[in-house]
Amino acid sequence: MVGRRIVVSALLLILAVLIEVTILAPLDFPGATPTLVLVVVVILAGQFGATTGAIAGFAGGFLIDIAPPAAGTIGITALLLTIVGYAAGRFAESDDRPWWSLAILAGLAAPLVILAGSALGGLLGDPRVRWDDVIFLMLTSAGYALALGLILGRPLRRLCRWIVPEAYPR
Amino acid sequence: MRDTRRSRIVLAILVLMSITLIVFDLRGGLTQPLRSVGETVLGSAERAMAGVVVPVRNLVDSLGGLGSADERIAALEQENAQLRAELDTAANDRARIEDLNALLGLVSTNEYTTVPAQVIAVGPAQGFAWTVTIDAGSRDGVERDMSVISGAGLVGRTIDVGPTTSTVLLIVDATSSVGGRLSGTSQIGIVSGTGRQDSLTMQLLDPLAVVDVGDVVVSFGSEGGRPYAPGIPIGVVAEMRGTEGQLTRSAILEPYVDISRLDIVGVVLRAPEGPPRSTLDPALTGVGGGG
Repeated sequence: MVGRRIVVSALLLILAVLIEVTILAPLDFPGATPTLVLVVVVILAGQFGATTGAIAGFAGGFLIDIAPPAAGTIGITALLLTIVGYAAGRFAESDDRPWWSLAILAGLAAPLVILAGSALGGLLGDPRVRWDDVIFLMLTSAGYALALGLILGRPLRRLCRWIVPEAYPR
Repeated sequence: MRDTRRSRIVLAILVLMSITLIVFDLRGGLTQPLRSVGETVLGSAERAMAGVVVPVRNLVDSLGGLGSADERIAALEQENAQLRAELDTAANDRARIEDLNALLGLVSTNEYTTVPAQVIAVGPAQGFAWTVTIDAGSRDGVERDMSVISGAGLVGRTIDVGPTTSTVLLIVDATSSVGGRLSGTSQIGIVSGTGRQDSLTMQLLDPLAVVDVGDVVVSFGSEGGRPYAPGIPIGVVAEMRGTEGQLTRSAILEPYVDISRLDIVGVVLRAPEGPPRSTLDPALTGVGGGG
């Protein structure tokens, strides 16, 4: 049962990372690249709780950090998505939330991750961070994450429920 | 109220692991094995993915072009007429260009021994890094620190090489710097990325250099042609910053390569045999330094 949960999470995260770098980033959306991985982490956390959310966040962030052509500091995305996964898990655990609340959560988390990533990058001396672009990146990423969350929320929930039925007692 | 204690412990462990990774990465080199694993494993997966994605992307591109075909034909006809007019003066120009090429060491890009490659993945914009993955790796003879070019000019250099994929740092990345030379006056400078895809800055070494808008900048070439082979066109001067004589004088360049539309590129395995830079002798050639 735990095995299935790990397999479905791992497959979804790997697929999300691959889609993000081979399809979404080359499409050159205005502003930020849609953060599919973050949306998947939030949805997984919403289905399986804070522990799985934190682990999925770490794994997804780590994959983004090392998947070519990544050139940033390894660990930054892992750190931020771990926190996002945990927070999303706690949020979904507290009581019955409608499915679209996770999409809104993703839409809030995406710009915060960009802000925190830029701040952390700046503190650690990354010469690439451009503060004049950060606001635009945050705004666009919020929109993309919200849209992806609304599109993927229900299908992924159904997929999780189908593969790991014991996670849903009701 | 499901086991919040356990999830908090897991959170703490993962946060500590992430911070450890960051520290190790900043120490330099310690996380290189992780990058190699990423390049090998995820690179291969990206390559497989691109096998499906790239044909679809090309199809979508060509479908998108159908609607604007009439416009394109009109534009091309106009260009054709213009080119025909220019052709009359071409014979004269060609002889001059050959002389100038020999003089200035501009080598046409097809004289380089290259390995062709397809761009299969791009770094997310929020990472601020301008990097792409190409589907050629050590099995194709690609090594770290080799120049990557396209038909238009210099694209970047390889920074990580896996068996079947490599990561390319583009010249517009903020951490990229290339030795550049103005082909008109042979002034040299350092061309750095700005982090924006449509501009580069060139820091001129000679504060008194005479630079005009429209001057062409080519790569100066590194020792042994690595990481940058000599004579590759980089871009044209679009704007000058600072006045003559000022210590920090820089030019804003417009790169030849359109970074957002990279598709097929070439990795320079070997620069041309002969030294592309012949010695300049004003008395012999009658060219007086361009002004």
